[in-house]
Amino acid sequence: MKVIAKAVIASVALAGVAALPAQAEGERFVLVSHAPDSDSWWNTIKNAMALAGEQVDVTVEYRNPPTGDIGDMARIIEQAAASNPDGLITTIADFDALSGPIRDAVDRGIPVIIINSGTPEQAAELGALMYVGQPEYDAGLAAGQRAKRDGVSSFLCVNHVVSNPVVGERCSGFADGLGVDMGDSMLDSGQDPAEIKNRVKAYLTANPDVDAILTLGPTSADPTIQAVEEMGIAGEIYFGTFDLGTEIVKAIKGDVIKWGIDQQPFLQAYLPVIILANYNRYGVLPGNNINSGPGFVTKDALALVEEFAGEYR
Amino acid sequence: MTADSPADPAASAQEEDERLKDISRLRKALIRPELGAISGAILVFVLFGIIAGDSGMFSAEGILNWSIVSAQFIVIAVGACLLMIAGEFDLSVGSMIGFSGIIIAIFSVHLGWPVWLAIILAFVMAMAIGAFNGYLVIKTKLPSFIVTLAFLFILRGLTIFLAIATTRKTIIGGVRDVAEGDWLAPLFGGKVLTGLFSWFAEQGWISTFTRGSRAGEPIVDGIPMLIVWAIALVIFAHILLTRTKFGNWIFASGGDAQSARYTGVPVDRVKILMFMFTAFCATVFATAQVMEFGSAAADRGLLKEFEAIISVVIGGALLTGGFGSVIGAALGAIIFGVVQQGLFFAGVESSLFRVFLGVILLLAVILNTYIRRMITGER
Amino acid sequence: MAAPLIEMRDIEKHFGSVIALNGVSFTVNAGEVHCLLGDNGAGKSTFIKTMSGVHKATKGEMFVDGDLVHFVSARDAIDKGIATVYQDLAMIPLMSVTRNFFMGREPTRWVGPLRFVNFSEAHRITKEQMSKIGIDVRDPNQAVGTLSGGERQTVAIARAVYFGAKVLILDEPTSALGVRQTSMVLKYIDMVRKRGLGVVFITHNVRHAMAVGDRFTVLNRGQTLGTATRAEITPEELQDLMAGGKELAVLSETLGGTV
Repeated sequence: MKVIAKAVIASVALAGVAALPAQAEGERFVLVSHAPDSDSWWNTIKNAMALAGEQVDVTVEYRNPPTGDIGDMARIIEQAAASNPDGLITTIADFDALSGPIRDAVDRGIPVIIINSGTPEQAAELGALMYVGQPEYDAGLAAGQRAKRDGVSSFLCVNHVVSNPVVGERCSGFADGLGVDMGDSMLDSGQDPAEIKNRVKAYLTANPDVDAILTLGPTSADPTIQAVEEMGIAGEIYFGTFDLGTEIVKAIKGDVIKWGIDQQPFLQAYLPVIILANYNRYGVLPGNNINSGPGFVTKDALALVEEFAGEYR
Repeated sequence: MTADSPADPAASAQEEDERLKDISRLRKALIRPELGAISGAILVFVLFGIIAGDSGMFSAEGILNWSIVSAQFIVIAVGACLLMIAGEFDLSVGSMIGFSGIIIAIFSVHLGWPVWLAIILAFVMAMAIGAFNGYLVIKTKLPSFIVTLAFLFILRGLTIFLAIATTRKTIIGGVRDVAEGDWLAPLFGGKVLTGLFSWFAEQGWISTFTRGSRAGEPIVDGIPMLIVWAIALVIFAHILLTRTKFGNWIFASGGDAQSARYTGVPVDRVKILMFMFTAFCATVFATAQVMEFGSAAADRGLLKEFEAIISVVIGGALLTGGFGSVIGAALGAIIFGVVQQGLFFAGVESSLFRVFLGVILLLAVILNTYIRRMITGER
Repeated sequence: MAAPLIEMRDIEKHFGSVIALNGVSFTVNAGEVHCLLGDNGAGKSTFIKTMSGVHKATKGEMFVDGDLVHFVSARDAIDKGIATVYQDLAMIPLMSVTRNFFMGREPTRWVGPLRFVNFSEAHRITKEQMSKIGIDVRDPNQAVGTLSGGERQTVAIARAVYFGAKVLILDEPTSALGVRQTSMVLKYIDMVRKRGLGVVFITHNVRHAMAVGDRFTVLNRGQTLGTATRAEITPEELQDLMAGGKELAVLSETLGGTV
């Protein structure tokens, strides 16, 4: 009897302890990306999001339009807002299409943080709390200036997401950094690895004078690495890429790729979850937008990157 | 020899009757092409009512959300449905959506035409391409599957090329600004019954914005024209198919084009008109989307042709033509839309959506095949 | 004697270098069943397609009620009261009996500014016509696929008769049917003849032809081997003619007369 009573008291106490913070915890956030299912880069976002969710005890749901159709993404944002989450994390892949749904969510009183695509100005205009990401044009510009110092004067930009003009700005930033005209340096490669490889090969065969290649992410970088290796120009042609991934890290190590621009997607998913959780609980908010990148990753700083490539890096 | 055979027509008809007798009245009333879709729709609503009932899915804005998604599917499914009943496919629907949208944006924003003229031009061009699709199918006697597959690529490539060549971008924004005050644009991007919804909000029946410039206004402030279009197209196509001479010809053209021709049905004309109608529906979809979002993108509408065909098949139409129902296709589209959005509401991992979709498609096709065999006596 | 309903004179039809028909002459009178016999490839199909306006004759003339005609399409022939019922293409199985019966000639009525098919009228007529020929269609909405093969052929013939055909061209209406269903179709052909229509009955089955035929024309390799009345010819002679001479007769003997 005594034992039972003790047990009851203990469990009530335990439940009480568990219940106290539960009033604030267990929030539900939704992260809506613009990436099609085939884009592996967003895996890092999913992992970082889950890690942050675990650490601060919130649920974070990941949503994306399966084909990358921004029209569908707008519906998903509307849907996410209708489900009354405690916070919304999303991108501005197309300002015209997404401004309506995002503004609606803001006006319903849902805290919104913009990550990845979009600009700090657009985020502010829609009433989002803040922007976490890498200003794309500036990152491209910095990369272009670096390449210019290394003696590059012409380039090929392999773009696997022509539909996302914000990402395309990396190419124009790079061109401006080099101080050359963009011309027809941008290649619409599509998303299929075999097609990307063959198109890059065809382009490089037709334009043998090209000094440098810029890829915009692992989707275009991985097949391009194969292409330059098969053409026997690996290590010879100046090769830079945006974002990291297992293959890219290997290529940096093997001197095929000079540098990778890390926009640190981990921070883009991790920070908003932490910030939203604390904003919900204690009303605290950093006073500024956060630049998660650019950081140039070269052969010298690879250890940690290598360990977590594709997972958290 | 046979002339003195004892059987006479009446006797043999009598015998047929005996075999039909076991069909009860209730069963007969139930056996309709839409039966599969009706039971599927009920099942889906009950299912999500249970697992996502308290997630906001059935709040005003939740309902609006899956209604718009369903309406999008309905608009293209109605066209695909009539075309499929007429015995043909159109795989270029998705590319047509991207194409029409970009045409509107290029002509209105980039070239400065009035928006209404750009919209009409998009409709004319899309329907002309639809007619050309149909003409090629008729003249070459190739399967429409192949001809329209070619147009899936041709139109998509052309769309990206046109967008890049004129504006150096694949997303053309700013349509909302130029559409300001246009007389035709609200027919696609506007909302109806806005007064009713403000009144709902005043009564406190639906939720309102809590902050920003629109604080106090209802979140759902009207029915988007896309939903009105979807309903109008369903009514139009249903009546056309079941109540008119032309509807009979659509069935006949898909059921057996050769025998339809022998009885004087203008099969070629019917099929070409159905290709044009499909293009029309795709352009309605594109225009409504462009007017709502204010931008057109070259990759809009990707894979929409399959979503349309899937809706139609869930709705009980026969892939080889000659059998189907517009109401069924509309219900198929609603099932599709509700499942897609409902899974989000229910918090199911989004990659599992395709698994559910595949299962539903399979179940629907099996059930529909069974129902169809009972109706048509196929063996 | 009145002019024949249809008279075909020296019809020739060439497909490129192939001569499918080489001077075929043929008549159909009101109230008779004229059987057109021939083995596969004899030119029967080409001939009836010429008669029904699907093909244009390369040479030769065609008269309807004594008037020279030139058909450009199947529609022209239908307008002159020549209806053709094809073997496999008689009906569309997925569609209802009514929709099939009125296909291409749907009765309409105005509802306000809109014109709809008058289905109550169509159902009534269909039921009435079906019971006339002894098929009890309980529900005119039922799909033709639920009818038997013989019933489908009969419905197709009834449709042609109802819409005022003067000449019926029946393309192998019995070849895919069982004995009982064949008798049903043959009975109906007899009924149609008694109503004063001319019937062109294409078959390669001599017994079916002898059962209802008044006159018989045999086609072989694009030419007629002549026309005979019922009194002039026996089934055996007809069979021999169809086989194009003596070979089959010889074969028939070796097989014990079973062919």
